[in-house]
Amino acid sequence: MDQLLNQEERDFAQHMRAFYRTEIPEEIRYRVAVGEELSKDDIVTTQRILNKYGYAVPNWPVEWGGQDWTPVQRHIWLEEMQLACVPQPLAFNASMVGPVIATFGSQEIKERFLPATANLDIWWSQGFSEPNAGSDLASLKTSAVRKGDVYVVNGQKTWTTLGQYGDWIFMLVRTDPSVKKQAGISFLLIDMKTPGVTVRPIELIDGSVEVNEVFFENVEVPVENLVGEENKGWTYAKFLLGNERTGIARIGMSKVNLARAKAYAAMTRTSRGTLLDDPLFSARLTKLEAQLTALEFTQLRILSTQVAGNDKPDPRSSVLKLHGSQLQQDITELLVDVLGPQGLDFIDNAATGDGFSDLPPASVDAIRDYFNYRKVTIYGGSSEVQRGIISKAILGL
Amino acid sequence: MDLELTDEQRELKSTVARLLRTEYDPAAREEILRSEKGWSEEKWASFAEMGLLGLPFSEDYDGADMGFAEVAVVMEEFGRALVLEPYLSTVVLGAGFVDAAGTPEQKQSILPAVIAGEKLLAFAGYEPTGRYDLNAPATTASESADGYTLTGEKSAVLGAPDAHTFVVSAAVDGTVGLFLVEADAQGVAVDARIQADGLRTGSVTLSAAPAQRLGHGDASEVIGRVIDTANAALAAEAVGAMEASLHMTAEYLKTREQFGAPIGVNQSLQHRAADAYATLEGAKSMALYAKLAITGEENADEGAGDAKSRHRDVLAAKLIIDEASRDISQESIQMHGGIGMTMEYPIGHYAKRLTVIPRTFDDVDTVTQDLASLGGLIEPHAVELS
Repeated sequence: MDQLLNQEERDFAQHMRAFYRTEIPEEIRYRVAVGEELSKDDIVTTQRILNKYGYAVPNWPVEWGGQDWTPVQRHIWLEEMQLACVPQPLAFNASMVGPVIATFGSQEIKERFLPATANLDIWWSQGFSEPNAGSDLASLKTSAVRKGDVYVVNGQKTWTTLGQYGDWIFMLVRTDPSVKKQAGISFLLIDMKTPGVTVRPIELIDGSVEVNEVFFENVEVPVENLVGEENKGWTYAKFLLGNERTGIARIGMSKVNLARAKAYAAMTRTSRGTLLDDPLFSARLTKLEAQLTALEFTQLRILSTQVAGNDKPDPRSSVLKLHGSQLQQDITELLVDVLGPQGLDFIDNAATGDGFSDLPPASVDAIRDYFNYRKVTIYGGSSEVQRGIISKAILGL
Repeated sequence: MDLELTDEQRELKSTVARLLRTEYDPAAREEILRSEKGWSEEKWASFAEMGLLGLPFSEDYDGADMGFAEVAVVMEEFGRALVLEPYLSTVVLGAGFVDAAGTPEQKQSILPAVIAGEKLLAFAGYEPTGRYDLNAPATTASESADGYTLTGEKSAVLGAPDAHTFVVSAAVDGTVGLFLVEADAQGVAVDARIQADGLRTGSVTLSAAPAQRLGHGDASEVIGRVIDTANAALAAEAVGAMEASLHMTAEYLKTREQFGAPIGVNQSLQHRAADAYATLEGAKSMALYAKLAITGEENADEGAGDAKSRHRDVLAAKLIIDEASRDISQESIQMHGGIGMTMEYPIGHYAKRLTVIPRTFDDVDTVTQDLASLGGLIEPHAVELS
């Protein structure tokens, strides 16, 4: 990509490359590079370092810690971060609730929350999906009934990622059940320590407990925790989801993972030499490399037509999500296939008994990631939702 | 970062598009396709007049002194209109070879005539038993009193029936050389044929045919470079044809009614059209990638270009373009239904061109293997192994 950048952009890329590699602790980046699970501390530590230098929330308004960057600079910031295996700023804070508060919140609510959100002093959780409101999010039922100077919230949210660490949760709640479903939704902030809030972990097929159900039983929320206007929550949610789609292709991360699978394949012996000499494996790998390059150039093409300051989501970003998520899955599958029979055990660490040989690299994370990554074509607007957006917004069907 | 066309290129694009829209609609094309020649001298003359035939060549030979980027603009528009004239065979291949390998005298005697629209060329490289291989021709060249004589058989010679001069590859001194052979010379016979997409092609036999060496020395590097350029040109053409196909298909989904509603209300068709669109975006990206591989080398200082990385990048582009061409052409017919099977309706004509392109100069399986053997696009790297 470097040869496409102008001198200023190239200098910026150099700067970010060096920054990430010198300022973010080596052991955290190592854990990302080899696919180990990150602790809460890893994520908090990283975000606080980034925030200290103004690199945690560059997409926010400058007065709240953002950067006056071009779309290309923002792309470089993220791409270099992924290539350096630096954990990204917590999306719930940096790309979701932060921009909503900064754009639609009152001065008071901005001052109260934005600095702590940027610095990850508050860990935010997302309270959008419900058991019966997935892709059809607007049909959500969790209610908030105004009683004096509080809302009384009742209902259930689900798929709350990392909710076990959450300090606060930003919610879509129904404040007017009598109107069209989109018109009766509000955006409410709730302290998760409030009586009546219960978090229950959901175990996933990869063995992780990264998502949770959150129950609300007569939870009293001060009315000043409402963001923007009552019943305008759907507008804010659409704004938030538009932000979610940018950068969700995770091309830098896929490059790292593909380079990793390729390195393991190069040291995996077969009757022909190494796995890289196997014609079918190598064809599969080569196609993935070409597809990833195509996706990277699609992203660059979209970027090069974006004007600084125009944050309207480009419908072509649905192509990035659709193909980017597919590629992420294909790469995790490739890694499982590199390992062969030793990749099938469900294990927590690579320790082996005395006198036994070491397990190959990735034997802990490959199969878990394969199952974990089934989520990427479901969250952030499923592949089917993206196809719907393309067919309506681009093809006019 | 700027990946968009320059103002000049945008102007070129709209000029060509305007001409083709008014004078190269499906009915006009159909007439040309069914004519005896299979292409139009009148259209060729207007392309010459617009300067399209001399875009990448030096002003010394009456060219426009531009580069491949402008050729790619033209190819994309030609793809959109399924232009039948021998631009690829004469300008990109034939004149491309003369420009890359010829002596100043040879360039002077050939390029101005090509640019004026008076001379047609064709590249005779492939052979009946060699499939896509260009490195080991069975055709041989022997030195004669006033040049060379060539003996052998060439196949898949695009533009053969009307070419005035052939650029022929042949074995010479243990390497591959390029030679100029006049079509009307003694010992030259052409077996004319028509490709599935309507383009004129043929086989050429050479029986001690008199020839002039094009440039000198081993031509392998030049052949690799010109074929890479031709593949990048085909990538642009394929993008034009795919975009037109998808546009036509989306329009059809909106207008064709069954069960009392446009068929485009069906989610199964919406999602397939969306997939085709996503595929098209990937193809556009890789046509750009191939273009940058060629123009990057054009713009590099003499000798600074890296032939290996150019070739690798063009292979990667061809891989994506080939699969996209197949997917979009097949889906376009299927989503049209029966009408897509007819010669009368244009979508099948796009499908034919998009079926031929992925099999021109190389096929997707070979491209994939070649790309892999060059090490692919991504360096293997894992932190704990380094």
